[in-house]
Amino acid sequence: MLSDLRFRARALFKRSAVDNELEEELRFHVEHEVEKYMRSGMSEAEARRRARLAFGGHQQMKEDCREARGTEFLALTLQDVKYGLRQLLANPTFALVMILTLALSIGANSAIFSVIDGVLLKRLPYEQPEKLARIFLHSAEYPKFPLNPWDFLDFRARNHSFSSIAAFTRGDVQLSGGDSEPVRLNGFGITSGYFRVLGLRPQLGREFDFKAEIPGNGLQVILSDRLWRTRFGADPNILGKKITLNTQPFTVIGVMPSGTQHPGNDYHSVTYGESVDVWWPFSFAGDPNRRGSHFIEGIGRLNHGVSAERARAELNAIMLQIAREHGSDHTGWSVLVIPLYNEVVGARRQMLLVLLGAVGIVLLIACANAANLLMARASSRQREISVRLAMGAPRMRVVRQLLTESLILSCTGGVLGLLLAFGGVRLLVSLLPADFPRANDIHVSGPVLAFTILVSLLTGILFGLTPALQASRTDPKKGLQNSGRTTTAGKQQAWLRSALVIAEMGLASVLLIGAGLMLRTFLNLVHLDPGFREDHLLTASLSLPHAQYKTGDQTAQFFGRLSASLNALPGVTSAGAGSDLPWTGYDENTGGFTIEGKKAAPGQESHARYHMATPEYFAAMGIPLLEGRFFTEADKKGAPWVLIINRAMADLYWPHEDVLGKRISFDDNPKKDSDWMTIVGVVGDVKDQPNSLRAEPAFWWSEYQVSEPDMSIAIRTQADPRGIADGLRNAVHQIDPALAVADVKLMNQVADGQVSTPRLTFALVGLFAGLAILLAAIGAYGVIAYTVSQRTQEFGLRVALGAKQRDLVRMVLGQSARLAVPGTVLGVVLALSLGRVVQSLIYGVSPSDPLILSLVVVLMLMVALVASLVPARRASQADPMVMLRAE
Amino acid sequence: MERIELPQGTLDLLILRTLLSGAQHGWAISERVQQVSSEVLSIQQGSLYPALHRLERRGWIKAKWGTSENNRRAKYYELTKAGTTQLEHETETWRKLTAAVQQVLEGA
Repeated sequence: MLSDLRFRARALFKRSAVDNELEEELRFHVEHEVEKYMRSGMSEAEARRRARLAFGGHQQMKEDCREARGTEFLALTLQDVKYGLRQLLANPTFALVMILTLALSIGANSAIFSVIDGVLLKRLPYEQPEKLARIFLHSAEYPKFPLNPWDFLDFRARNHSFSSIAAFTRGDVQLSGGDSEPVRLNGFGITSGYFRVLGLRPQLGREFDFKAEIPGNGLQVILSDRLWRTRFGADPNILGKKITLNTQPFTVIGVMPSGTQHPGNDYHSVTYGESVDVWWPFSFAGDPNRRGSHFIEGIGRLNHGVSAERARAELNAIMLQIAREHGSDHTGWSVLVIPLYNEVVGARRQMLLVLLGAVGIVLLIACANAANLLMARASSRQREISVRLAMGAPRMRVVRQLLTESLILSCTGGVLGLLLAFGGVRLLVSLLPADFPRANDIHVSGPVLAFTILVSLLTGILFGLTPALQASRTDPKKGLQNSGRTTTAGKQQAWLRSALVIAEMGLASVLLIGAGLMLRTFLNLVHLDPGFREDHLLTASLSLPHAQYKTGDQTAQFFGRLSASLNALPGVTSAGAGSDLPWTGYDENTGGFTIEGKKAAPGQESHARYHMATPEYFAAMGIPLLEGRFFTEADKKGAPWVLIINRAMADLYWPHEDVLGKRISFDDNPKKDSDWMTIVGVVGDVKDQPNSLRAEPAFWWSEYQVSEPDMSIAIRTQADPRGIADGLRNAVHQIDPALAVADVKLMNQVADGQVSTPRLTFALVGLFAGLAILLAAIGAYGVIAYTVSQRTQEFGLRVALGAKQRDLVRMVLGQSARLAVPGTVLGVVLALSLGRVVQSLIYGVSPSDPLILSLVVVLMLMVALVASLVPARRASQADPMVMLRAE
Repeated sequence: MERIELPQGTLDLLILRTLLSGAQHGWAISERVQQVSSEVLSIQQGSLYPALHRLERRGWIKAKWGTSENNRRAKYYELTKAGTTQLEHETETWRKLTAAVQQVLEGA
């Protein structure tokens, strides 16, 4: 094998040396033959004649030997490449335009494919990830709802669909100790077997066993590789050591390896990737008959051959059993089992595929464009091709030669494109929203490389084949007679080239319409009234450790003191604390409250989102008060229970009624006044996400009455809110020096993150549309300019016969319109039929939006006009004298 | 004397067999085959050299430049180890083939 390679390599690269050797060898042979014949008595001349006769065709034999050496194919290719390079260098503008347009389109394709590969194609980083599935509850109102721990335990004990099943819930912790400032860590409480479900093993130690789930055994922790390295110097003896979390000693029992990725979550979400710092054992206690609180997320590994559907049916059956056993009402609720892959990337799939489609269209246009330019060039190369055909080159050789040239172009474009993709992918990833799934998996990787090579080769063949076949059909006689100037392109070729430009125009219109839809979507989202004011607003989060803040009074006191000192800071308009910030992901609901004077229909529990807030919270967030009052300092423990609700809740439960003074109760059987909570204010609605259909009903408790320890701080400032961050830290540490201030960011950034996906989609589709228009314009220009140059004589004749400049310009523009109008019509029809594909990506605009469609038509006609300006000018300068001289 | 055209595929076998007795140049190989076969077999020169190049590419023979009996530069071919194995293999196949053909011719 190796000797074979060496032999072929020598034959290929030392071709002339090998040929000379053969020549010498053959000469040697002939000499011997001559001597032999002379020995038998022939004259030398006769002997030579005989020898040569016996030897057969010298040239033919050399060819045969070359073939026997097995290098003919490569040698020819090398020859074609050399020749092709010479041809391309002879016309550098042509080569440059071709290579640049191909590089841009191939590069864009590689970049988008990198994203597709990283997000959609790469396997999730778990063992047999296709068997993993997420488990949720589901109702018409709440498509994905967390589980109740008791339900989870019953699912785990009774199911036969999963080989293992686990639950997890977000719970950040504060790490302190040593001399450094306390930090908040991303933490998750997990049941035992969580990592076994995922198929991950700790690099040190072990994962939690069942004993860790028993309340009181929870002071154990598993560290992430990153935390272990950055905070504990990769201490190999860390197992068994104690670290201080939430001011309590936790024993390290394991360290996960690097690459331990979070499987994603909806409830109090953390970003994908290696975003978790610590895992602690999830445990809970309580009454198994009270199953109203839902806050854990289920994940399971399906048994071999069990589908998600079957598992879902089984869990639903178990849920019915549970309902019977515990007398609970599950009307309207069912279990949802979603394969992990769908859960992680399902929502982004459509967007990515649309982007791939868009960028594929760009590549198609680039191909049409390249074929077009090649055909124009082939007709000017007719003479050269005629000569080669006349010299006896077989047609296949000419086709092969021309294809080699297009492959040189496409592969050079591909290499440049790959370089572009490297930069483009980095830019793309930096523009992706923080919560984009698997963004950390997006790289220009092996598959991307293979994709680029394949696309480059296919592109070269796609755009090169038709022009090559056409050119090889040149009649050498005609080609030579025509002396290369007034070539007869032939009706068929002219038709083909126009068809290509019409197709380019059509596809470009499709992209332009898409870009228009994305722009409208983005603008609609940006201009939506969010229900709060995101400017001049700094936010942060605090989590009071239970060890120090044992009573509600202590918690309420802390937030009271903090609010007071923050509001006293210079430059602060208002500052408050709330359990949740808008648009940061929220899914907590409470159900089953009783409305005074109303009887709920059976199976129709009253539901609403619940939050806590301090008096200044609403003013700081910029949420308007519609009726009644905000909370005051007086709304504290011991005072009558008060509630603030949003308009959605008022409209849902008290339509057309005065809601102030209305009362609800969370008690099953309210009797005394203190069982009731009174509505004292109504505030404006804030949707869960900017593009949510409607706001969910929600209410707020006074923080001073319910004392939630995990709160977000909101500070509204007069000037740039970034300046207040240090003031916030000082204020917190004056009250409690051991408290971490986490997630300090501008509400602007949070709001911005919400529109970053639509903005990115618009930017990319817009970019592709721009590229498409540029290519289509080049194509149109190429065809029109070519026709004009072909018709120079005709135009001269027309001028001689009395045609005005105006008439000539009109003729050229007419040709341009004959390309643009059918192209645009084609594009609009295509776009209308593709409308369904983008439906899920657009907001507040219809795929057949008349404004966008008409703007695109106008724009495309203008592009065609611009593309034909220069040729029209040239036509108008047609000189009858030139025509006469040419004849 | 009547000469017989070589059946397909036997040329390689003849070349390899000829080289078993030592390195030879192309002309000598063709002469030798002719002599040993009592002038019945003759190798067309037009197929000898392509065959030599093919065998060299497969690594069954290797070539080196040497000096001929009358002091001229000549390209000598010799069997490689792989070539010897191949020769044994092809000889065996040939024997079986001819024996089988013989059997059919006489028995049918």
